[in-house]
Amino acid sequence: MIKITDLEKFYRTEEVETIALNKLSIDVKEGEFVAIMGPSGCGKSTLLNILGLLDDPDGGSYLFNNIEVAGFNERKRADLRKHNIGFVFQSFNLIDELTVFENVELPLIYTGVPASERVSRVEKVLDKMQIMHRRNHYPQQLSGGQQQRVAVARAVVNNPKLILADEPTGNLDSSNGNEVMELLTDLNEQGTTIIMVTHSEHDARYSHRIIRLLDGQTVMENIMI
Amino acid sequence: MKPSKPAMIKNYLKIAWRNIVNKKVYSAINIIGLTVGLAVGLLILLWVQDEYSYDKFNTKIDRIYKVNASMGSGASQQVWSGVQPPVAFYAVKEVPGVEDATRIMGAWKYSKFTYQNRGLRVTVPMKFVDDSFFTVFDYKLLKGNPKRPFPNVQSVILAESEAKKYFGDAEPIGKVLKANNNDLFTVSGVMADIPSNSTIQAGILFSTELKKREYSTKDMWKSMDEDWGDYYTETYLLIKPNASTTTIANKLTAIHMKLQKGIKPTDGVYQLQPLAMVHLYNANGSPAGAQIVKIFTIVAVLILLIACINYINLSTARSVLRSKEVSVRKIIGAERAQLFFQFVFETVLCFAIAMILAFALIYAIMPIYNYIARKEMHFNLLSAGVWEVIGLTVIGTLILSSIYPAILLSSFKPIDALRARATGAGSGTFRKVLVVCQFAFSIGLIIGTLVINSQLNYIRTAQIGYDRDHVFSVGINDNIMPHLDAIKTELSRHTEILGVAAGASLVSSDGSTGDTDWDGKPADVSMIINPFSVDKDMLSVLRVKFAAGRNFTGIKSDSAHFILNETAVHRAGIKNPVGKRFHLWQTDGTIIGVVKDFHFASLKQTIEPAIFLYNEKSGSLFIRTTGKDAAAAIGLVKNIYDQYNHGDPPFEYKFIDDDFNRLYKSEQSTSALFNVFACIAIFISCLGLFGLATYTAQVKVKEIGIRKVLGASVLNITTMLSKDFLLLVIISLVIAGPIAWYAMNKWLQDYAYQVHLSWMLIPLAGIAALLIALITISFQAVKAALANPVKSLRSE
Repeated sequence: MIKITDLEKFYRTEEVETIALNKLSIDVKEGEFVAIMGPSGCGKSTLLNILGLLDDPDGGSYLFNNIEVAGFNERKRADLRKHNIGFVFQSFNLIDELTVFENVELPLIYTGVPASERVSRVEKVLDKMQIMHRRNHYPQQLSGGQQQRVAVARAVVNNPKLILADEPTGNLDSSNGNEVMELLTDLNEQGTTIIMVTHSEHDARYSHRIIRLLDGQTVMENIMI
Repeated sequence: MKPSKPAMIKNYLKIAWRNIVNKKVYSAINIIGLTVGLAVGLLILLWVQDEYSYDKFNTKIDRIYKVNASMGSGASQQVWSGVQPPVAFYAVKEVPGVEDATRIMGAWKYSKFTYQNRGLRVTVPMKFVDDSFFTVFDYKLLKGNPKRPFPNVQSVILAESEAKKYFGDAEPIGKVLKANNNDLFTVSGVMADIPSNSTIQAGILFSTELKKREYSTKDMWKSMDEDWGDYYTETYLLIKPNASTTTIANKLTAIHMKLQKGIKPTDGVYQLQPLAMVHLYNANGSPAGAQIVKIFTIVAVLILLIACINYINLSTARSVLRSKEVSVRKIIGAERAQLFFQFVFETVLCFAIAMILAFALIYAIMPIYNYIARKEMHFNLLSAGVWEVIGLTVIGTLILSSIYPAILLSSFKPIDALRARATGAGSGTFRKVLVVCQFAFSIGLIIGTLVINSQLNYIRTAQIGYDRDHVFSVGINDNIMPHLDAIKTELSRHTEILGVAAGASLVSSDGSTGDTDWDGKPADVSMIINPFSVDKDMLSVLRVKFAAGRNFTGIKSDSAHFILNETAVHRAGIKNPVGKRFHLWQTDGTIIGVVKDFHFASLKQTIEPAIFLYNEKSGSLFIRTTGKDAAAAIGLVKNIYDQYNHGDPPFEYKFIDDDFNRLYKSEQSTSALFNVFACIAIFISCLGLFGLATYTAQVKVKEIGIRKVLGASVLNITTMLSKDFLLLVIISLVIAGPIAWYAMNKWLQDYAYQVHLSWMLIPLAGIAALLIALITISFQAVKAALANPVKSLRSE
């Protein structure tokens, strides 16, 4: 599903050039659950941003479903992103002015899903995430675990092919964190490809494969049995 | 699939409303600023619209012209808005481009009308008009024949409200009114009340045929249609389509020169002024009210700009708080255009709320506004004209306020925001420029207000050449006139009364004439002079000083004596004028005295030539008293008057100070409005400053906490938060000061007599602005400085 070859990304200031990704090559098959680990500054988040079409590489190739997307302009990236990729963030990133229902509904509005279908799909996803009883609450009224479940619901409501999770349990206690990891595992078992950045070895064990990065390069891959 | 518009709009509305409700302080600052700005801007622009609307109810306005007459040439040229009575007659008879003409003359003879023993004082203007009045103009004759409105010379036409006063709901046509207990008039027509936006105002109309009867074959001008010497008639021409106004004016001038022999070629040269310009421009084309209209339009735009700047500044300053939301929306699929419209929509909602509140505010303050502006405007939401002003104002300010913040807010890069790398949208420099603009406008208005008030004060306290303190006047009617000498003698016996005189008011001249001659008058010189009929006591009661010669003494030969002012003597070039011959109208007389110049017009004009002729019984009665005796003096005069009038008409008096102030009612009105506008501008600017100061205190809460822990005092913190803003106000002063100074000096050029502007006004305005800004900012600055640093640093 995803094939990146010799991917490069630099950050330049007036005095310094930092190499975030140094000719990185990774393949991710459809339906895989991949964890990306490494110390701070190794390029994990940069890689995730490029995979999520939030940023453009400075070199190399990125094939998404056999389409070369490196070099896409913002409009094309946005279009591909909204139809194919869901995001789960460490700090949830829900919109405070919208209720739980409205937050989850938002991606459907942006993809033009008709109103009646939106309601049924949102309710289905909220039910699945066991957060339906809080549909009319605002994010500030939820616990961290509940907020992350809403974020996951928002990420999957459009049935994306790929979910990118950036430290999804980083702001949660272990119990809630396990819940979220179980959710992601369920989704993966239903066919969704998941790429997760994490510091947690515990969370990484939920994945099929761990890719370890250092200084913008892959240094190790572990297959989880 | 494209997202559905209704869904997006519903989403925008939800977010916009919840943002307003959740951020109450900032929402209130924004909405109050917009409400006040819109309300005041709309009020001013409605006033401007009203000024421009004068006379436009006339469907033929593009073909109606007023005839004005130019006298003299070069620096001494004057243009009079009154012309001679025969102009209209010959315009229709002999000028090909003229379709019709009509004349309007003031009628002051009658003060009371009686119907069935019920008398009412006249409180409306009265005019003599030609029959063509109702065919040239579109004043509606509700009853009567517009082609022959005055069947005979004793016909009268009443405005609808006047007719109601006398006759109630009864049919007025054919009813007979008695004027001044003497003359009988039959109501031949009822016209709709003349709208307030008409230059011509009248409540009672007589036929010019009646005015013609005031002429006698014994007079110099034997009939009205031969009187080329008196310029007292307002004459309007209805010209044919595509006729040349220059050709018409030249033809009229040629007719005048042919029919009035011996006249100078530069005297009585006619000019045509479009009716559409009569209200706002003087006869000579210089702006009268037009300048004030332009100034107020600029003020309205400034106030609206200040309100917009407030909104833009607060929105962009607080944009960092929206950066996460913008980024998340972009990540989950929003296009930049969708975000742009979302933020525009939020501005639209703010404006909608502000507009509704502004309407309510306008309704509430309209009576006070009308009182200050001396108008009768109505904020009628059913009027297309009102919506024209509302539409332009709201849409203009909405576009200005919404575009920039929407562009900036929708430009956030998702990654930067999510990594908390986002800073406030837009450059801080641009926001500072906007604050400088706001305060520059406000300081400009403050300087304008100070200058206008200074000039008004100068006028009020200026030495005008006579003593108008504690002098009141009463009218002389037919009951009083025969007993005038006895009344004056009776009044003079009382100690409360320091002097009694009869004659024309010296506050302002009633008319002028060019019928003058003197020995040695060059053939190519003419002089327009302002005549005042006075008794022997008037000049001494008003304490007019003499430069040469003496006053009237009341002897018979005074009927051929004249007193001139210094300007008249100088203009005529008469050396040692006392004893010299002077001719006025039909009278050949002798100059017996010269008075020092005094102002008998607004201080906008230089002093013109004036001449005093002796008349023991004319004009009004003027009584000088003292401040503490004024009430007693008035009572004395009332008692005597009532003896002769028997309470009818009711006794009325007025202090000539009030008459004098009426010359400047427009300036007083302008001054009052400017005071209000300056306060409003400052208020809105301070609202914005308050919002920015509040925001700055919030974003710097960590820095303040750290500084306090390290030992900073409350004063240190307050100074840190305030100094940037105060520097901006100083920059505003440096920019606005010279510009406002220049503009106000130009405004003062309208006045022949001006206050001397001290340069201290600029720093004074600056200090005022700085103090106001400091008070505004310090509230938040001190509050932040007093906050417990533990709370702000706890999360660290």
